[in-house]
Amino acid sequence: MNLQIDPYLIVFFLASGGALISALLVVEHKSIVYASFFLALLGTSNAALFVLLGYPIVSLFHLVVYVGAAVTFILFSVVMLREAPLVEPVARGIALIAALEVLFLFSVGFLPLLKSQSAGGVISLMDISDVLLNKYSFALIVSALALATTMIEAITLARKEVSES
Amino acid sequence: MTITVYWFLLTSIVMFCIGLYGLLTRRSLIRMLLSAEVIFNAALLALLSVASISKAFGPSGGALALLAISLAAAEVGVIVSVAILMFRVRESLDVYKLRELRG
Repeated sequence: MNLQIDPYLIVFFLASGGALISALLVVEHKSIVYASFFLALLGTSNAALFVLLGYPIVSLFHLVVYVGAAVTFILFSVVMLREAPLVEPVARGIALIAALEVLFLFSVGFLPLLKSQSAGGVISLMDISDVLLNKYSFALIVSALALATTMIEAITLARKEVSES
Repeated sequence: MTITVYWFLLTSIVMFCIGLYGLLTRRSLIRMLLSAEVIFNAALLALLSVASISKAFGPSGGALALLAISLAAAEVGVIVSVAILMFRVRESLDVYKLRELRG
């Protein structure tokens, strides 16, 4: 009996299972600090899935920029905030129906891709930077401007003095 | 058993549904941001799954993903600073109280 286990399969199930459990804990955990921590775990699991799809550069970028900067920023910011759990009891049923409807529609909608395999190979940094500079150079400039604008906006909002009421 | 692109898409759909549920049921600004981030992760996974099917679209998908990640990081900065400002003004993160800030 051949009991060979494909390592790709194990990594996929570990990463996707980890991502889904982390996503559930981000939404349902009582503490926002722990919820932010699980968002970091979700980002890490997602990065593992990107590697399986053949995008190691995007995976590293996701780990460094998203998990390393954005989620860590949330994690350290929420420590300063005190939160009472605010849940909309009426919306729970509607949200559950909406989520199930989306799940059904998309899982049926993507059925034609049931047998589609990933093209294989690794998308290198050279390929991505080539496309980014030649095909999406305008989008690159716009996103750089957007980043600069949001940085100024964030600094202005954070430094805004609150008037005594 | 082989893992096709559909399984990656199914993971992203379930993740999207979890994020959608969180976004619709929470009233705290930070909770809503965290749920939106779950949805963002799901969308990114779906984008790369579909882009990986074809060799021709592979690099384009990667480039779009890099742009999306950097913009998502910027968006997090803005929303967290709005949340901190809101907490300083209202001592609460309830989005219903954010309506009172309308000029």
